[in-house]
Amino acid sequence: MRPLVIPGIIALFSVVIIYLALQLRTSPPLIVGASMQPRSFPIFLMVINLLLVGIMIWQNLKNPPEPVKMEGPTTWISIGLFALFYILTTYADFFIAIAAVVFLLSVSWGERRLHVAGLVALTVPLTLFLIFDEVLKIRFPRGLITNWYYG
Amino acid sequence: MYEALSAIGSVMLDPYLLMLIFVTTIGGIVIGVLPGLGATTGAALLLPFTLTMSPVHAIAVLATLYVSATFAGSITAILINTPGTSAAAATTFDGFPLAQRGEAGRALGIAVVASTIGGIFSIIVLCFAAPMLARVAYEFRPPEYFALTIFGLSMLASVGAGGAVRNLIGGIFGVWLATIGAERVTSIERFMFGNYELYEGLSFVPVMIGLFAISELLVQSKKAHLVAEVISLKAVKLPSKEDYKRIWRTIARSSGIGTFIGILPAEGATVASMIGYSEARRWSKNKEEFGKGAVEGIAGAEAANNAATGGAMVPTMVLGIPGSGTTAIILVGLMVHGLRPGPYLFTEQVDTVYQIFGAMLVANIIFLAMGLYAAKLFARISMVPTSILWPIVFALSVIGAYSLSASLLDVWIALIFGVVGFFARRHGFSVAPIAVGLILGHMVEVNLQNSLKMFDGAWWLIAAQPLALLFLVLSFLGLFGSQIVRMITKQKDS
Repeated sequence: MRPLVIPGIIALFSVVIIYLALQLRTSPPLIVGASMQPRSFPIFLMVINLLLVGIMIWQNLKNPPEPVKMEGPTTWISIGLFALFYILTTYADFFIAIAAVVFLLSVSWGERRLHVAGLVALTVPLTLFLIFDEVLKIRFPRGLITNWYYG
Repeated sequence: MYEALSAIGSVMLDPYLLMLIFVTTIGGIVIGVLPGLGATTGAALLLPFTLTMSPVHAIAVLATLYVSATFAGSITAILINTPGTSAAAATTFDGFPLAQRGEAGRALGIAVVASTIGGIFSIIVLCFAAPMLARVAYEFRPPEYFALTIFGLSMLASVGAGGAVRNLIGGIFGVWLATIGAERVTSIERFMFGNYELYEGLSFVPVMIGLFAISELLVQSKKAHLVAEVISLKAVKLPSKEDYKRIWRTIARSSGIGTFIGILPAEGATVASMIGYSEARRWSKNKEEFGKGAVEGIAGAEAANNAATGGAMVPTMVLGIPGSGTTAIILVGLMVHGLRPGPYLFTEQVDTVYQIFGAMLVANIIFLAMGLYAAKLFARISMVPTSILWPIVFALSVIGAYSLSASLLDVWIALIFGVVGFFARRHGFSVAPIAVGLILGHMVEVNLQNSLKMFDGAWWLIAAQPLALLFLVLSFLGLFGSQIVRMITKQKDS
């Protein structure tokens, strides 16, 4: 069963894309002329993908791939922190989100000196903010801190 | 040639550019010695910082980072048996054993001299080969370009760590990503799901940051608690006369091999260094020393991987076809700065092109000095705890992704592609084909559309054009050549 999981996911993805491509509007022949409809190219790609998936299944059945070890807790925590970053950016502030995630990433990756993690979480976003805002003139999204800074 | 020399010379007269090259060379070496970061991730993180620079300065900075980080991978390969970049993997075979024998300084000296010679040789070839190839490429029409991009995509089969089929699936996924947004001729929206920020298509920069930097962060999270053992380094010294006698042929051979492999679309420094190493072994009189600290092994791998950097710039700049993940980012840099990669770059922006080559040349000379006098210091940098380094990479990634179009959507795209890239890598797919596919996707579709218009829908006439046919045959051989040879050999044997 295992050799079929990844090819199965790719095949399902390809079929979904073909379905979505078939829902696209067609353009009048006057515009596209002898060329192809906008749906044709993605469908063509996904058909090739399905052929490749067939080869991949054949390869996997011939030489079953080695089992992939489960991700460790640090990886899942890191992915979870990306979700936290999304929530904090949306509801608080881009830089509060960066500082919080930098701190928590640092701690979850094994940094025991909390003051060091805290210092990195403060100085890195602050330095990057100053470089991008003052030197590169990039305006950051509004939030609790940026509202106060931009006025 | 006069144009080339004068433009390269003008680099020396631009103190700001020289300063940028100097600082970037140091930055590139730092990035190269930090295990996991490497030239591609470094270029993805650096790209947003170049936005306000002039095109020459921006691309020179990215190219400088490319050559210096590629070299620097050898420092940790020799001192801690951990290649800073995949291109330095072959250097560990003999570099680390030589360092264990207490000759780390000699190993680093050979690596830095071989890298510099390989790098400079490839830039000289680049100065000659690129304009010549550009003259041929002027004649290309849509069918030839379409066939060329198919050739580039077929070469994806050999990019990165995944197998050929997995790499091709990744490449096709990348090409599909390029179809997101409004279609060029009809303006019909494809796969946008009502999000009008995607009307112009996916931005390359956040996708690159996600695929290379964020996914690498997640890969490194598994190694968060590992501690490397460092070999102590007394001093880096230049190779002795005896060493030069042993390695000069190897350096010359590997410089040629590296440059040639770099020029092939979608091949890169990693493949070059492996072939450079194995050729050094094949031609050596001291084969038994290989794997135990052979100086030819270090020179062969290092000359080849740095020579590949110059070679890889040829298809990137002349044809718009990147040879690796890093050149894909340099190509994005060219586009972001309004430069049109392709043969016209060599008539419309010839000074810019040669100044970029000049910057790469200067970077090679600077890293020679840095490698000889500051390798010990750089080796210490590799000891920065991952628990500090990668959170910084996260901050750089999200701010970098945001900064291109001041859009939070780009930040989410970077994070999503980071997670997708991580799981793809976990299951044996390489992310470089996805990046190259994304860049080539637009070219493939547009040239196919134009070819169909040219031939009034008769698609088979594409193969009737001699050059296009040549590229299609090469693509076929690239994909099935080894299987055909295997079948013929089997038949002969039976």
